[in-house]
Amino acid sequence: MSQPILEMKSVCKSYTGKSALNGIDLSLTSGQVIGILGRNGAGKSTMLECALGLREIDAGQIKLFGESPAALSEASRARIGYVPQQNDLFEWLTAKQMLAYFRAFYTHWNDSKVAALMDRWSIPGDRVIAKLSGGEKQRLAIIRALGHDPQLLILDEPVASLDPAGRRDFLRELIERTIEQETTVVFSTHILSDLERVALEVAIMKDGKIALQQPLDTLAECARRLIGPTTVMNAQHFVGELSRTEDAAGHVNVVVIVGNHDSGQLEQLQAQGVIVEPVGLEDLFIEVTR
Amino acid sequence: MVTKPPPSATALFSVSIGSSDPIYKQLVDQVRRLVAGGQLAAGDELPSVRDVARALVVNPMTVSKAYSQLETAGVLERRRGIGMAVAAQHSHAKKKADRIDLLRPTLERAATESAQLEIDTQSALDLFEKILKAKK
Repeated sequence: MSQPILEMKSVCKSYTGKSALNGIDLSLTSGQVIGILGRNGAGKSTMLECALGLREIDAGQIKLFGESPAALSEASRARIGYVPQQNDLFEWLTAKQMLAYFRAFYTHWNDSKVAALMDRWSIPGDRVIAKLSGGEKQRLAIIRALGHDPQLLILDEPVASLDPAGRRDFLRELIERTIEQETTVVFSTHILSDLERVALEVAIMKDGKIALQQPLDTLAECARRLIGPTTVMNAQHFVGELSRTEDAAGHVNVVVIVGNHDSGQLEQLQAQGVIVEPVGLEDLFIEVTR
Repeated sequence: MVTKPPPSATALFSVSIGSSDPIYKQLVDQVRRLVAGGQLAAGDELPSVRDVARALVVNPMTVSKAYSQLETAGVLERRRGIGMAVAAQHSHAKKKADRIDLLRPTLERAATESAQLEIDTQSALDLFEKILKAKK
């Protein structure tokens, strides 16, 4: 097994006494494509910024390409592409000038890829960045992050200001020239359909923790909602239980990640009138972040 | 010998996002149906993992997983230099009874939803008949 690209252990971070990360454990291997979900304020951006060494952590450990992010070597730095949520692009430069500026930082820069993307995504290269639209700025930030063919791509809500067609173009680029190259991709998003298309794994954050991390295929196959009368359900508990609610009519609603060992138990419950149904990612998100 | 070029990925496959079926499983089921129905015959080549991933805008690993499962199940075989093709033992379209079995899961889902919507049996059957005729 190769060393993880990124490893976070029990990472904690607070801002002026308010806890933002509350014990993050995350390990990413080469070629992993993971989508980070969570409600606003769950800690997604903070986690990504800490992973990159942009923020100091209060406790825990982070290894990025085997090094501390706070003292990252030039070689490792050159393997990372990052698209922040806030575009800090150099507003007074033209798009072309800005890309030329960043090109100088890297020993490797994929000129033909950058030119092709500028053309395909219709970015006016000679216009001052301040005059670009929100969507154009976002696409430009993505081009900048892809220019040096990074091995780790971290995207903080990369498509927030793109329309559906723009998002589809971006996903296609991600698949054709990034994921096919075994690049590790971490992206936070609120758009579940994008995540389901390209991610292999999902992590759902809540209150500064990763509340659920699973391969998408596992969730589709094993996430189940059980609805049954209180009398039956109160006697039942599951290892992978994610949420449990009771309605006024006396029905208990449990969402659970079913393991192999549970199948007998489920069959018995169904015989007692309990409804067992699959749970989509959106419902799962609601349950986990409730 | 002239080999038939593989059909385009979009002509063979479609995926529905947000479905409770994982994407790889949707692809597996679609290939099984196409082979069982005879639209894909033994020796027919499948589009490459890369082409399918690009056309459907899904992760190539997902397509690869579907192809591997179909290979393990003996539906597809890996051909040197070509890629994936329909396996030899699948030269004949399956018997009608087997094909009906493949339709069952989809119909069961439809039956559940029909019951939830409190639609009577005859109305549901009428609708299915209408849809079938429109596809002919």
